[in-house]
Amino acid sequence: MSLDLNFVFRVLVFPGFAFILLFTMFCDWVERKIEARMQNRMGPIYTGPVGVLQPLADFIKLLTKEDIVPFNAKNFVFRFAPIVSFSIFVFSFAFLPIDGASVVSGSNFEGDLILVLTLVSIANFLLFLSGWSSTNPYSAIGATRVLTQLLGYDIPLFILALAPAFLAGSLNIAAIANKQYVPFAFLIPWTFALFIINLQAELEKDPFDVPHAETEIVAGYETEYTGRRLAFLKLAKDVQMVLGAAIAVELFLGGPYGPIFYGLSAVWYTLWFVLKLLIVVVVTEYLTCIFARLRIDQVLVVNWKLLLPLALLSLAVTVGVGLWLNPL
Amino acid sequence: MKWARLKSPWVLHFNSGACNACDIEVVALLTPRYDVERFGILLEPSPRHADILLTTGVVTRQCADRLKRIYEQMPEPKFVIAIGACACSGGVFEGNYNVIGGVDKVIPVDVYIPGCPPKPEAIIDGVVKLLKSIEGGEQSGKR
Amino acid sequence: MASADKILKALSDSLGKRIIQTRTLQPGKSYIQVQTGAHKDAVRIVLQEDNEAGVSAITGVDLGETIELMYHIRTCDTIITIGAEVPKKDAKIESITDIFPGANFHEREVSDLFGVTFEGHPNPKRLILPEDWPENVFPLRKEVSVANIPSKIGNFGVSKDEKHVSSEERLVNIVLGPQHPALIEPEKFSLRVDGEIVREVEPRIGYVHRGIEKAAESRTYLQDIYLVERICGICNACHAACFCQTVEAIMGVSVPPRARYLRTIILELNRIHSHMLLLGHAGLEIGYETLFHYMWRDRELIMDIMEALTGNRVIASFITIGGVRRDLKEEDVPKIKAELTKLKERLSFYKNLFESDSTLKIRTRNVGVLSKQDALKLGVVGPVARGSGVNMDVRRDEPYAAYNEIPFNVITYDEGDSWARLMVRLDEVGESVNIIQYALDHLPTGPYRVRVPRTVPTGEAIGRVEAPRGELFYYVKSNGTAYPERVKVRTPTFANILSFVHIAEGGNVADVPASFVSLDPCFSCTDR
Repeated sequence: MSLDLNFVFRVLVFPGFAFILLFTMFCDWVERKIEARMQNRMGPIYTGPVGVLQPLADFIKLLTKEDIVPFNAKNFVFRFAPIVSFSIFVFSFAFLPIDGASVVSGSNFEGDLILVLTLVSIANFLLFLSGWSSTNPYSAIGATRVLTQLLGYDIPLFILALAPAFLAGSLNIAAIANKQYVPFAFLIPWTFALFIINLQAELEKDPFDVPHAETEIVAGYETEYTGRRLAFLKLAKDVQMVLGAAIAVELFLGGPYGPIFYGLSAVWYTLWFVLKLLIVVVVTEYLTCIFARLRIDQVLVVNWKLLLPLALLSLAVTVGVGLWLNPL
Repeated sequence: MKWARLKSPWVLHFNSGACNACDIEVVALLTPRYDVERFGILLEPSPRHADILLTTGVVTRQCADRLKRIYEQMPEPKFVIAIGACACSGGVFEGNYNVIGGVDKVIPVDVYIPGCPPKPEAIIDGVVKLLKSIEGGEQSGKR
Repeated sequence: MASADKILKALSDSLGKRIIQTRTLQPGKSYIQVQTGAHKDAVRIVLQEDNEAGVSAITGVDLGETIELMYHIRTCDTIITIGAEVPKKDAKIESITDIFPGANFHEREVSDLFGVTFEGHPNPKRLILPEDWPENVFPLRKEVSVANIPSKIGNFGVSKDEKHVSSEERLVNIVLGPQHPALIEPEKFSLRVDGEIVREVEPRIGYVHRGIEKAAESRTYLQDIYLVERICGICNACHAACFCQTVEAIMGVSVPPRARYLRTIILELNRIHSHMLLLGHAGLEIGYETLFHYMWRDRELIMDIMEALTGNRVIASFITIGGVRRDLKEEDVPKIKAELTKLKERLSFYKNLFESDSTLKIRTRNVGVLSKQDALKLGVVGPVARGSGVNMDVRRDEPYAAYNEIPFNVITYDEGDSWARLMVRLDEVGESVNIIQYALDHLPTGPYRVRVPRTVPTGEAIGRVEAPRGELFYYVKSNGTAYPERVKVRTPTFANILSFVHIAEGGNVADVPASFVSLDPCFSCTDR
């Protein structure tokens, strides 16, 4: 079988690995700048023009630090959980159309929405494992909090993701993105709002910042990591952030599909995707800055007593809207 | 590589027996008026994540081996900055029972910032001097 | 309604022959020395006469052959001291923790530093000195000199931590500190938790113990001001003010009016900056970083004023025996007033935030509740007490500096939860701004310092100041030489630590930093 250079290029460079990496770092910089401006500060400004290269500097610096594995840690899981988690997040990007078609668009797999959401859950679980294998009491508490929160927001996430799937009549992400002549965010705004709140919980940002509660449990599940593994752990978190925003963009904002003015459709599709993703990033970061952190039991209350019923309700309403739009 | 190390120095703050004056000036560095995040400096909670240890205060007996352990937990390359007259040499408390002395009696120190307490501008000056000396190759941080 | 005379009469009536002597330390402050066994009854009588009374401090003084124990009881706007002597060879005395639980830590400290055994104390473990301190070396006894204590340089082994035996097997032991992002100071709190509920709390303080009380005895009075200021950088002006007040009381010197007003200004500036520091820190603890940054940005206004007034941002070095060290320049006054007006506008924004923001309220309302009875029994002071409805404030009860001439309100809230304590502090910032503005408007002319005699005459005195965290208590005894005989400092956080144990037990682990920060602990004050 001959090597399809185009495919390799797409996997490794664009819209694959290299693009995701650089874009993640860019989004990290955007987040830090927004947080700084909201707090009346400046954020990074000296590393590269306007401080854009700051996340890159952080990453490289972490790679060059001494690697320490605690004596008691469960070696195999401790060493590999971060990078496996990171890989799964990056792999999930393969199913999202970024420049008009997803990397795996050749295959006719119809259920990739479910697959992507499951992969996200697995990767989150791996983050929990990375904390658990550190055998440090703070890591253990942080890890259990990740797991508790995961159980809370995962089900509403699936339910809310089903709403646009129902409206589009397909479980294929590319198809859902394609069918949005009017972005679903405007058709079913309540579901979009709930999805954004759920996203805050998944990305562990305020008010659902509990696993990262610096002031209570030191650094949570990241506590014992140093050097390369910390770099990948942090990168995994950042990629998760971009992935979550990307899913929101695909499901609710119409993905990369927007008006093309002239020239290469791929370029315009990418541009629209980047723009919409940045909007989601800005909105989630803004929400982070204006809320305090809820306690873990309050988070559970919000998840189970608020998000889950509202998600079910919104799904029911969406089914109603869908039936009204396309009568059976 | 050196560029990355210079542009992203993460600090850990530890108080080994100070009166809090130096500590609040260190915390003031994060606030909007002085904002050291401009330089890429982040305050990290865990010793395992940090490059630079900012210690304040004289070293008391109880804190001595805690300080040592925190220093050992930091991955290399690592640097230590002693902030304030007490951390440099013992300050007003030199000679008291229960006081060991300045920080360099316990761990090696790279930069001394005198003052009681030093103004945040002086602390930023000290950190920048450390970064410059790393750039110039005088400090390698490997012990 | 109890009054000091009624209490003294009640004491002499019931104790009768067991009172050895009565003397007056200062106008209004009596000292009653009783036989060793009678001290408990004496304390009980005073607490019964005034149900808002509390043991403020327990001082130990080495008198050569005996150790004198003084129980300072805060009652009726003054301090009544009950004294008892124990021989050094056989230093044993009955503990008063069963009638006043708040004396727990005071007694442990005296037993650590003087070697007095308190019979009946529920937890007679080391409090301030490190675990591996040699037995039977009691630093504050006169015969122990610093040079005799074996040096520790060179042999850092793993320090022997006391083994915490938890009462139930399935409890997980979480240690908060000494290096912990939540606490900017090193202290260790062992929490025994069951899931997310805290069952037991064991504080271990003493990490910042620098032996200041002993050091004060080998420095002159003037040098002691600088030493005492550095007990705590945040409330440094209050320590200096209290020390100077006490020494001036021994000397019988009264400070000129301009100096009293200037002292008031610096003390209130200290209060504002400390409260704003804490409110920002509270934001950080509950995950509200934006509040932290905004509050500290506004706090910089106060730091600018302090720099204009004293030349230094944090440690003021402004107050000295006989007055203040520098004068306030006339041209600075309008600038200071402008900055204060700016601060006042920002305060209404914060008040609105604290009263209406939902996530903030969820984390602080009904969290860490301390009832009024518990507050009185544990002897807490300051905003912690005022947040639980106890109406005490040294500025009004026993005015010092210029507080008897400046009108202000004492803020109390009744809820007793973390939110109430934070609101007390926020409102006090507003009151302090008013006080400073009034003081600036009515600043008297005249000298700002008066010459004092070079040596302090023999005598003893008690001074109290309302520091940002509560009542700060000083006892100074002079023996006529250039060095003080005894300087006893009882800081407000020392009195409040017990409330932390009380509040945390039975609550959520996640609430521990939030309730902790609302108590505003300052461990460098506690450990001295």
